[in-house]
Amino acid sequence: MSMENEQVDMDLVLEEDTTKDKYLTFEIDSEKYGIDISHVIEIITICAITWVPETPDFLKGVINLRGSIIPVIDARLRFRKPEKEYDSLTCIIVIEYENYKVGVIVDTVNEVMYIPEESVSLPPNAKLKYQNKFIKSIGKVDADVQLLLDVDKFLFLD
Amino acid sequence: MADFSRESMLDMFIYEMNQLVEQLEQLIIQGEQGYSMDDINEIFRIMHTIKGSAAMMLYDNVSKTAHSAEDLFFFLREENPQDVDYSTLTDLVLECVDFIKNELVKIEAGEDSDGNPTDIIARVKAFLSLLKGEAGVPEEEVKKEPETEPKAEEKTVQNNEISLELRNGADYTAKIFFEEDCEMESVRAFTLLQNLKDYISNVTTVPEDVVADSSEEIIKKEGFSFSFNSDKTYEELCELIQQTVYLKSYELLSGELKRYKAVLFFEEGCEMENVRAYTVIHNLQEYCTNIKHEPEDVIDEAATEIIRKNGFKFSFSTGKSYDDVSKELYSTVFLKALDLEEISDDADEQKSESKEKTKVEIKEEKKEETKAKEEKKEESPKTENIALEPKTEAKPAAQKKPASAASQKKAAPTQHMISVNIGKLDQLLNLMGELVIAEAMTTQNPDLEGLELESFNKSARQLRKIINDVQDTVMSMRMVSLSTTFFKMNRIVRDMCKNLGKDVHLEVVGEETEVDKNIIEHLSDPLMHIIRNSVDHGIEMPDERKAAGKPEKGTVLLEARNAGGEVVIIVKDDGQGLDTQKIFNKAKENGLLKKPESEYTEREIHQFIFHPGLSTNDKVTSYSGRGVGMDVVMNNIEIVGGTISVESELGEGTTNILKIPLTLAIIEGMLIKMGGAKYTIPISSIQETFKAKQEQIFTDPDGNEMLTLRGDVFNIVRLYDFFNAESEVQNIEDGVFIMLENEGQHVCLFVDELIGEQQVVVKTMPSYIKKVRGISGCTLLGNGDISLIIDVVGFFDK
Repeated sequence: MSMENEQVDMDLVLEEDTTKDKYLTFEIDSEKYGIDISHVIEIITICAITWVPETPDFLKGVINLRGSIIPVIDARLRFRKPEKEYDSLTCIIVIEYENYKVGVIVDTVNEVMYIPEESVSLPPNAKLKYQNKFIKSIGKVDADVQLLLDVDKFLFLD
Repeated sequence: MADFSRESMLDMFIYEMNQLVEQLEQLIIQGEQGYSMDDINEIFRIMHTIKGSAAMMLYDNVSKTAHSAEDLFFFLREENPQDVDYSTLTDLVLECVDFIKNELVKIEAGEDSDGNPTDIIARVKAFLSLLKGEAGVPEEEVKKEPETEPKAEEKTVQNNEISLELRNGADYTAKIFFEEDCEMESVRAFTLLQNLKDYISNVTTVPEDVVADSSEEIIKKEGFSFSFNSDKTYEELCELIQQTVYLKSYELLSGELKRYKAVLFFEEGCEMENVRAYTVIHNLQEYCTNIKHEPEDVIDEAATEIIRKNGFKFSFSTGKSYDDVSKELYSTVFLKALDLEEISDDADEQKSESKEKTKVEIKEEKKEETKAKEEKKEESPKTENIALEPKTEAKPAAQKKPASAASQKKAAPTQHMISVNIGKLDQLLNLMGELVIAEAMTTQNPDLEGLELESFNKSARQLRKIINDVQDTVMSMRMVSLSTTFFKMNRIVRDMCKNLGKDVHLEVVGEETEVDKNIIEHLSDPLMHIIRNSVDHGIEMPDERKAAGKPEKGTVLLEARNAGGEVVIIVKDDGQGLDTQKIFNKAKENGLLKKPESEYTEREIHQFIFHPGLSTNDKVTSYSGRGVGMDVVMNNIEIVGGTISVESELGEGTTNILKIPLTLAIIEGMLIKMGGAKYTIPISSIQETFKAKQEQIFTDPDGNEMLTLRGDVFNIVRLYDFFNAESEVQNIEDGVFIMLENEGQHVCLFVDELIGEQQVVVKTMPSYIKKVRGISGCTLLGNGDISLIIDVVGFFDK
């Protein structure tokens, strides 16, 4: 019995380990962003989107994900970047946050990256660019910089 | 014992208790003006069941509370005292009920049931002794109890074939039947033995190994019997056994049998008398022993003649009372006459045809019986729904009166009810939705386009028909009558009247109307708030009413009825009505006005009461005045896709009208095209569709487009304008008009083209998207595309 318990504990630890400090990185206009992997459910290719009236422009509409209806946000429009036609690289990252399931349209998805806490720093204070407010922190891996997304603000900031 | 799972017992306990408490509350409120004997019996039984169940689950406080209330009703039942202060009694019992309810909530939440009932029990006791004093039966009463009870108990003694198994040396043999579908019969039997183990010894049981898996079936079918020795009296043992949860019936046998002799005549021309006689004997075998009959071989053809001529003679032994036996025998089909007599011994059999008070007017009895049966039949369709009408729940755990035992037996065949976990029904409904979509995907598959498929289409139609039937059945399973929700309101009105010093009568109409279970859950709160408002703000104090020339007793009407695909619920009071000016001023203060003041109609102003934070009541009472209530109403009603409106006449009263869709799940829709997208419009709101000519259209100076049709003028709404979308079809003559109806108003909606009718499964919009005006939800089409469902109401309130 106790053996089993230990086994379970080990699994829990492993489970935590697998998502801790890991980020799914994606690109918009060649800028690299990261999103905490624990929010990510799956990545799908772009599909038919049904437009919904009277919604903000970044909310592109709803999609049918195997029978469940989920809203999708175009990250480009959310960041106030010009719209770009979707192509074969365009992906929808399906995330779940506080019981909301939302799809995020990005130019392309890169990889899952491990960015240890010590490599993550707060963004510089000067708010030069508008998009800054959706960025929680900045992760540095080698010479590369990943802008880590603040999911809460990304979804809910007016 | 190893898999004795308290958890699932607890579930069942809570479910059962909630049902009982609800029923109890209704009975008590109904009885406030004076309880009928039936009510008292019923309340007594429920309290008794609660006591037993709670004791078994070790909730002593609940059990004790129920016990004290039970004592109270025992006294009422046995003594039938006059001049009882029913109002105080009701208060007191309601307090007990509240206490139990409260504890149940705690138990349900997984907390300890730690309420202290001492205070309330003391008060119940005080009231009881007061009653006893008034009734002029002092201490004696206590002694009297044991005397009266046995009388009732004796009648339940039922001898049957167990008597054959009466073991040497055993004082008693008991046979227990549990409720059907109570589950875990073996565990229940085991628990029963555990409970009794302090009082009984030398126990042998049938089946022998109670907790074995196989015994579950045996107990279910044949009951659980056990013989034992005990110092306890017969009555005490009855009392103990009665505390068993889910007890359906029990027989406790201690000894003496009575011998009966009967002659039975069948109606002339009923044919097959011998077979009928055989049936009688067969039925007797259930509870009688040592049956002798003449002719002996009833199966023989010759017996038919004998029975026709001389009647069917038989004798038997049973522990049942004379009344019970005759009742049983009178239920024989085609019975013409029956002579039944008790004889002291077998030897006396020849003695006489001394007709002991028999030959009752069978005709009448039979008539009554068939009537009762018919009534039951009429009831049954109503009761066949998920939530199980309280009636069936009410099965008393123990029958003290033979009459109720008999009626129980008769009622048994009509109770085809099971309780189902609502989660399973939800799942079934979801699957149903998937099935409907899958059917559309298959029969409207793009691969089939342009093919001549006569046979396929025929099969497809058949499939569709069956799916429709299944769907209707699934939906009907989820329908629950509004009665429980409505009767809860009685309590609210009653309590408020007491506290506010008002006199209000709640009139309930159409409570049998059925609504989807999911919707009912959202109705309770809004109704409560509306009724509170009506009683608190609407109905005036009695003296004010008198001065205004109204009857002192105010009336709140709670009415439900079906209207097309909707249920309309009306709450109407004859109070002072809404003060339009006051509401208007408040709305102005709160900055709710959106157009010039003069443009507001009275009706529009009244709708302001549904805005959060707007209360016209100057002082906050314990019931209302914070301006939260109507907002809650609005929210809840919106969740279920309903609407609410209010009409009021100053001094005459206020009417709240709720319109609730019958079901949330599947609707008939008209699929239309606008721009690149397909939208669904509920068929129920469509009056007609038509093409219009340019000359029918005109524009008023404000730029509003209108259309004349058969002499009437209608507003036009262009869907693409309304949604700020783009569409290629802008020319009136290229597109199609759909006339929409809502509350007697009409609007012509301009769309690109009609695609066709389709059943659609309604899905809610993701909560991330804020409520969109004109959209009520969405649905999946056969090809997997999403179609938004148009909320017709959105086109009307501007």
